Amino acid sequence: MIVAAVLAVAACEACHGPGGNSETAGTPSIAGQPETFLVNQLIFFREELRASPVMQPLAKGMSDQQAIELARHFSKSPARSIATGPADAKLRKRGRDLATEMRCGQCHLPNYRGRAQMPRLAAQREDYLAEALRAYRDNKRTGADTTMAGVLYGVSDPDIAALAHFLSRLR
Amino acid sequence: MKRLSQRAALATAIAAAIGFAQAQAPAPAPAAPAPPPAWKQGQPKSMADSKLAPHAGKMTETPVSEIPVDKLKVPAGFKVEIWASGMPGVRHMTRGDKGKVYAGTRGIGRVYEITDKDGKRSSRIVVDKLTQPNGVAFKDGSLYVIAIGKALRYDKIEDNPAAQPVDLTDKFALGTEQHHQWKFIAFGPDKKLYVPMGSPCNICEPPATHGQIRRYNPDGSGMEVVAKGVRNSVGFDWHPKTGELWFTDNGRDWAGDAKFDDELNRVSKVGENFGFPYCHSMGTPDPEIKKADACKGVTKPVLSMGEHTAALGMRFYTGAMFPAEYKDQAFVARRGSWNRTKLNGYDVLTVKTGTDGKGAKATPFLTGFMDAKTNTFWGRPVDVMQMPDGALLVADEQVGAIYRISYAKKADAKDAKKKA
Repeated sequence: MIVAAVLAVAACEACHGPGGNSETAGTPSIAGQPETFLVNQLIFFREELRASPVMQPLAKGMSDQQAIELARHFSKSPARSIATGPADAKLRKRGRDLATEMRCGQCHLPNYRGRAQMPRLAAQREDYLAEALRAYRDNKRTGADTTMAGVLYGVSDPDIAALAHFLSRLR
Repeated sequence: MKRLSQRAALATAIAAAIGFAQAQAPAPAPAAPAPPPAWKQGQPKSMADSKLAPHAGKMTETPVSEIPVDKLKVPAGFKVEIWASGMPGVRHMTRGDKGKVYAGTRGIGRVYEITDKDGKRSSRIVVDKLTQPNGVAFKDGSLYVIAIGKALRYDKIEDNPAAQPVDLTDKFALGTEQHHQWKFIAFGPDKKLYVPMGSPCNICEPPATHGQIRRYNPDGSGMEVVAKGVRNSVGFDWHPKTGELWFTDNGRDWAGDAKFDDELNRVSKVGENFGFPYCHSMGTPDPEIKKADACKGVTKPVLSMGEHTAALGMRFYTGAMFPAEYKDQAFVARRGSWNRTKLNGYDVLTVKTGTDGKGAKATPFLTGFMDAKTNTFWGRPVDVMQMPDGALLVADEQVGAIYRISYAKKADAKDAKKKA
């Protein structure tokens, strides 16, 4: 890797944690995310299509190639779960049942590790998962398509909390 | 649970304080009891373990060297070449009075303007940061752009690249839904702007405001519903002889590989009902959303466009370049299936039809985007548009390029064959 790329990776890790496993509240883990998903997010930030006062300036002027290289790097980094507290058995079961019922695994795969444009949910930070799900439900975030707005139509805050609790504790 | 949400709230507050939070703050849950999530609707138990999912689009530029245009096949005498490229996500097209071509996108939020000068094409971004600005139309010097939650008009854009938009969002009042709300738009022979209102679900009883095609005066006034019972139309045109509206419609998903067909429809009177959500394809009632006499009073399609094929852009051919047999016939771009184990579509069809659609027949015109043996694809044609010289442009969303299909006179075609 050239020096610029090493520096770029270090800059990502400053917030997203060592190897891309985030130890910062509200900041997602990017380790082990599918390459296409990460490329898309960097482009969404660059194009100011995804709101973030931190990421928009960082992605400004980023070339397609830079986005692809960073995405490739972090997609190969192993993900580890950073649970912020002990599991609540009842909440976890509720989350598991909901994920099955809502068929999250159809796109995100039965192990919830994601593929292509569909992110890894397993081991993602609980606080971030809940925030992202609320943003989709409330039409504040659009992905490459509008699928997630449809999926989360009318899903309650407690159900979102249960999904986040369950998914964040998977590997 | 309370403890947890308090913790989450605290975490969010801390993150916001140090400036790492997303701009979107958590909003309260909707007040009204909401219907079940759209995605789940109409998924039979038998498909619970299916791993079918929408294919990833591409948000980055594809160099010409990586577009396998030599794999594309057209009938003898026709030629296909890359006309413009480097426009990620390029979709529906319109042409300005002075010859500039405008194209909308979905995920990447841009509208492109393509200038053809001295035999070379260059492109620029007219507007970006929009949510799925798929709809572009041109009338009397103005470009109309409809995105999700936004309707804009750019006056004299061909002369003035810096033209600022007139915001018509409140005039058109297209609602706050997202799903199936990326629009194909076009002006009819009646000089009205036609705007579809897709059903905001895979299969559901849509709100009375959705599942239809509307028309408006160019300023957004005088709304009228032209077609009802439409699931999601993303392409239409008017028959050159009759002036009647013909449109493609995407059939419902999650009913297996064999169900349901996408459709080519013809509107013979204003307000006609095309059956969604109760009656699909050539008259099959929906397996879940049931109603007595589901298909009564429903206008059947002119022709099936195949199961899950995503039949989108369609236009009638009126040019003089192609052989006479193509005159007044339709071309339909099929973006290709995702909700089907075997890929289907990924081509442009010719639909040979009379003015009433009876006996209409579809034949492949542009193929080679997909490999049936490996069940893979590399390109996704979304729209077709005839140019003044009679050539046909085809927009490929996957590689962000537009192809030009031309026809060489018979003698030239023979020569080309000899050389080959």
